[in-house]
Amino acid sequence: MNNELRRHRERTDMSQADLAAAVDVSRQTINAIERERYDPSLELAFELAAHFDCRIEDLFDPEREANGGA
Amino acid sequence: MTGNTTSEPNLLARKRTYKRLMFGVLLGGVGLALLLREVLGYPLISEAVYWLGIVGFFAIGFGTSLTLFDERDRALERRASHLTLNIMAPVLATVASVGRLLPRLTDYALPAEIWPALYGVIAVYAVFGISYTVLRYQA
Repeated sequence: MNNELRRHRERTDMSQADLAAAVDVSRQTINAIERERYDPSLELAFELAAHFDCRIEDLFDPEREANGGA
Repeated sequence: MTGNTTSEPNLLARKRTYKRLMFGVLLGGVGLALLLREVLGYPLISEAVYWLGIVGFFAIGFGTSLTLFDERDRALERRASHLTLNIMAPVLATVASVGRLLPRLTDYALPAEIWPALYGVIAVYAVFGISYTVLRYQA
């Protein structure tokens, strides 16, 4: 799934490690989401959206072609 | 919005340390147990060390309040399990068929040790089938 996670993260001047710790996942998970190699669960997607104070649709675009799982 | 905190990279480092400790205890325990049994000849102590490794692995995992494995780890585990079952199914079917046909068609037969291993694999699929059925009725 296409996403804007990297843009949001860089806009808030956070590292992948900072974001990972903030939402309690590994840095590799944040990296995999940003590279669109892993689609997060609904729970994590909501958590990320809450973290950046935006809607899920602002972070993730379901219209684009999905890239699959982990 | 949550900002950066200085403790966040430390949190990831602590998680990494705990994971390394878990697998270190497990692999170290099993390795040391093997050494004690096969090389040094202490089978009972070896067994105790073996179980210490296993119990230590889970004790560290459950003992910490940190989330050591996240949802992507679990997704990877599911995919790896699925892949393993998909690889083993044709291997099982082929080896079993060859094992049955070989003595009828030729003078050769598979080593007798193969059959217990095959029954072991069949048992894994039986457990999978039961688990799937239970989960299906629960979902």
